[in-house]
Amino acid sequence: MASEASLGSISHVQAKFFTKQKEYSIPDVPYSLPITVSPKELNDIVHNVLYEGDNEKTAVFDFLINGELLRSTLEFYLEDKEISIESELEVEYIERQAAPRPEASLSHDDWISSVRGNNNLIICGCYDNTIKLWSRDGQCLTTIPGHSGPVKCLTWLKRAESSGEDEEYLFASGSHDQAAFVWRWKGSKKEIDCLYAFRGHSGSVDCIDANGDGERIITGSWDKTIKLWTADNTSTDQNERDDSENTHQPKKMKSGGHKMITRVPLLTLGGHKEAVSAVVWLDDTNVCSSSWDHTLRLWDMSRAEQTQILEGSKAFFQIAQSPLSNLIASASADRHVRLHDLRTKEMKGTYTSHAGWVSSVDWSKSDEHLFVSGSHDCLMKLWDTRSPKAPLYNLIGQEEKILAVDWSIPDLMLSGGADNQLKMFNYKKFLIMK
Amino acid sequence: MNSGGKRKSGSLNEGSHDIEEGPSLLTSHIATSDADSEASDESEIEGSESDESSSQDEENVESDSSDDSDSDDDSDNDAGYDSASVEKDKSAADADKAESSVNSKDEYEYDSSDEEDVRNTIGNIPVNWYDNYDHIGYDVEGNKLIKPKQGDALDEFLEKVDDPNYWRTVRNKLTGQKVVLSDEDLNQIQRIQSSTHPGGSDDLYAPWVDFFSNEVMEMPVTGRPPDKRSFIPSKWEKQRVGQMVHALKMGWMKPRGEIRKAKLSRDPNAPSLDLWKDDAEPEITKRYRMHIPAPKEPLPGHAESYNPPEEYLFDEEEEAKWDGQEPEERRMDFKPEKFSSYRAVPKYEKFINERFHRLLDLYMAARQRKMKMNVNPEDLIPKRPDKKDLQPYPTREGMIYKGHKDMVRTISPDPSGQWLASGSDDATVKVWEIATGRCMKTIPMASKVTCVAWNPNPSVNLLAATVDSDVVLINPQVGDKLVCSNTDSTLESYVESASSSEHKSPVSWSTVSDADHKKGVRLKIEHQQEITHFTWHAKGDYFATVQKGSKGQSVLIHQLSRRQTQAPFSKPKGLVQRVMFHPVHPYFFVATQQHIRIYNLVKQELHKKLQANCKYISSIDIHPGGDNIIIGSYDSRLCWFDLDLSTKPYQTLKYHKKALRQVAYHKHYPLFASASDDGSIIVSHGKVYTDQLLNPLIVTVKILRGHKTTNHLSVLDCKFHPTQPWIFSSGADSTIRLFV
Repeated sequence: MASEASLGSISHVQAKFFTKQKEYSIPDVPYSLPITVSPKELNDIVHNVLYEGDNEKTAVFDFLINGELLRSTLEFYLEDKEISIESELEVEYIERQAAPRPEASLSHDDWISSVRGNNNLIICGCYDNTIKLWSRDGQCLTTIPGHSGPVKCLTWLKRAESSGEDEEYLFASGSHDQAAFVWRWKGSKKEIDCLYAFRGHSGSVDCIDANGDGERIITGSWDKTIKLWTADNTSTDQNERDDSENTHQPKKMKSGGHKMITRVPLLTLGGHKEAVSAVVWLDDTNVCSSSWDHTLRLWDMSRAEQTQILEGSKAFFQIAQSPLSNLIASASADRHVRLHDLRTKEMKGTYTSHAGWVSSVDWSKSDEHLFVSGSHDCLMKLWDTRSPKAPLYNLIGQEEKILAVDWSIPDLMLSGGADNQLKMFNYKKFLIMK
Repeated sequence: MNSGGKRKSGSLNEGSHDIEEGPSLLTSHIATSDADSEASDESEIEGSESDESSSQDEENVESDSSDDSDSDDDSDNDAGYDSASVEKDKSAADADKAESSVNSKDEYEYDSSDEEDVRNTIGNIPVNWYDNYDHIGYDVEGNKLIKPKQGDALDEFLEKVDDPNYWRTVRNKLTGQKVVLSDEDLNQIQRIQSSTHPGGSDDLYAPWVDFFSNEVMEMPVTGRPPDKRSFIPSKWEKQRVGQMVHALKMGWMKPRGEIRKAKLSRDPNAPSLDLWKDDAEPEITKRYRMHIPAPKEPLPGHAESYNPPEEYLFDEEEEAKWDGQEPEERRMDFKPEKFSSYRAVPKYEKFINERFHRLLDLYMAARQRKMKMNVNPEDLIPKRPDKKDLQPYPTREGMIYKGHKDMVRTISPDPSGQWLASGSDDATVKVWEIATGRCMKTIPMASKVTCVAWNPNPSVNLLAATVDSDVVLINPQVGDKLVCSNTDSTLESYVESASSSEHKSPVSWSTVSDADHKKGVRLKIEHQQEITHFTWHAKGDYFATVQKGSKGQSVLIHQLSRRQTQAPFSKPKGLVQRVMFHPVHPYFFVATQQHIRIYNLVKQELHKKLQANCKYISSIDIHPGGDNIIIGSYDSRLCWFDLDLSTKPYQTLKYHKKALRQVAYHKHYPLFASASDDGSIIVSHGKVYTDQLLNPLIVTVKILRGHKTTNHLSVLDCKFHPTQPWIFSSGADSTIRLFV
């Protein structure tokens, strides 16, 4: 039997190739493929048709069958999905994602707990109570010693505010010292100011997010509450207190004479039974929060109430929302990354490849199928939602557990962790074979 | 002539004829037998007939004189005999004739068939086909049957005139022979013609003669003499009667009259005194029921055959092995042997021996009745729930907390679940952030830390550590700042009251130096001896310590708010291992080596004493509900006590291979775990139902490994996360691991 199979009596399957990228389209002719064919051989077939031997510049393709990436031979795929070999397959091919290239490694003094990128700036929260501001090309612009506890979370308030010379960036940070600060970075003067201090949490501030216009900030804390704050400089002063009254003020402020305003929350939302691990603005009114009590909750901020609850089976450590597909990716201690659809309340998929506790996830802002995850197994993984069993790439570099990943800058993936290093990976959209 | 003798001979030889006046009895005998044998000779008989008639005449003449009536009777009889003999002779003559006509051969010599006449074998065909031949057919051998001579018309005529039997002579068509019909035949033909019964019995309605009637006959129907037994009284009847007589005598049996009388005299409404009388089983039936048949000997197999198949015969190796073995250990007690025939099988030498042993077995062997139940063994095993239904429980290693330089003896998560404190042999207490594995605080101590425990009160941020003979209370300054400052202020606001100073305290409470205060240490309670165990009360104000040695004061209960210490037991009942406060009620658990005593602190008395079926208790934990406790022991057992159920363990689990170091319950999930020196932590599902009727369900769900064994020590402590289904373990390999 075996000899027969090797002699060419391998079963064949009919397949049609198509693509949504017009420049790579080939005639709509069914091909008879041996079922032992691998993606590489499929690639050769498409190449032969497409370029007809002209090898100067060729794209590499990945192959999708029924919306799922083909990662093994066709035989395994068909067996796994229990598809009959008599049926005709519709094989879509897309350009293969390029492997991210490690770019730079930025050294810190202590563990990195949080990292965020914006345009050409990167902020890093550290366990030595400081925030480091880096430029895109790896230059340390400043170190901000504002917090009295390890910085746990960061967010940019205005994601891309660049107005020529007088560029001004706002960002917010939360810390173990139960406070959140809003900072202003003036690029021209290389000056950092603390605008607001948000005080009111009775636990460490573990997560923070700002809405689209950067005026509403929500924080989640270990004290199980979510608080809404305003960073609006036109707001009335009734929420404000004089800085001198506060006993827990930051010891050293480098702000040149600017008066820091301490604000109390606009809103406190209780409902989670355990620590809140992540908060995300979904749009201008809705917020999604995740917690150690195994739930995802949706809140309507205009009405200040909980609108929806999704029960999970494990404690959530972080969630991220894709701006393109609106799916929520969640990281948890049991190695899996899960995708949730908030509208249907169902789990869309489970992505398992990490060997340890997944600490952080972030979506690509440019591709609805791509996201990255960082884990305590020292690996950052680039995932395609269409390939749930294996990631596209493992990004190796970190030597200790990864605590934060970020993909806010479309061509830069960032990861930071317990080895005090911020790793940058350059990401190009498609792989072009030379 | 003696008439008496003559009559006698006549009576003896009925149907025979005295040819001459017999000179003796013997001769007449012979003569009659001769006459019988030659009965076929017609002429002779006819002759003798005439003789007889004449002799009868003479007889009659002779006897007339003596008795008239007699002679009349005799003559009648004789006449009857005569007619009968004529008939008989005739039929004999017929047969003779037929015989002589067919070649004087026996017709049944060759043919035994029942057919009427098989001399001619031509079958059922018209005979006139043979009219032109001189034979009429063929016999069985194929020879022609020649037609008998047929006379012409003249002969026919002559015969008609001469032969008196001509009218009753017919011709057999098949053989062509003449047959003279007998009177009987004629009679039958006549009956058939007159449509009456051909068989000849005229009277169809003759009276029925009942031989076996109820009437006593003079002569029995059968001539069989009566049996001997009908003359002897029955032995068994006698025995039975004897038994009955005995029973009557003993009063076991009563005559019917008496029974009836007793029945009538009994009050029908009187209650029966013997309630169980119907259940009582007579001895004899019991014995039958309990009879145990002798064990059956196994049937002989192929190996025991005199001519066994080849595979049963020993080869050399097997034979050597058989010879080498003791008779008891042999698989079979004989060697299979092959014989050419059954005849060649020799006498079985061990026959007597074996019989003897068999009998000895039957006689000596105590046989007991096995109560067999038709129960499927699977049904007896209680239904185990599926592990998947018991989730969540820790399944794999999630985090390693590295930083200690020596073995970590003790860990304690804080009540909020954000921090984890650990105490190590490298004389430090560390506080870790659970979610990231970050060491937040390191507090150096004077010596090895044996015990750390976070104050269970969430409004107080206080960590207790025991170092050598001191209890050190630390404010680690993690978590809510307000709580931290409140803790400090309450500790500082204590004012020493006069009464407490007067009392002779077994320990000394003291504040610490500034340097220590900066590190976070707030209070120090110095004991006299090394402290082996520390535990907080659930409310966080009281705590208890166990110190080594010192007899009366091994267990001390301290109150934090008043900084008081008391020794509740003047004389402990053994070496105290662990103490614990009940989570709800004012009970205090004291575990000595083999017992757990539960004291009521309010009533100040012993509430209960539990018997642990183990030799050396190492650890104890109380279910958050308070009604169940688990203990671990150094002899690798884990015992679950249900306090409502019994003072003995409800279940004893012996799944660890080595001594248990620590046992722990989860605060919220139905989980408990045990850590052992064999390097494993076994997590079990232990659900306690609020329904009092249901016993706790205990299912082992996971074995967790991770710690390396160094110096025969592996896992030293294990604690559950306060809110998540996670478990922490600390080990001799100076790491702390979190299993999620």
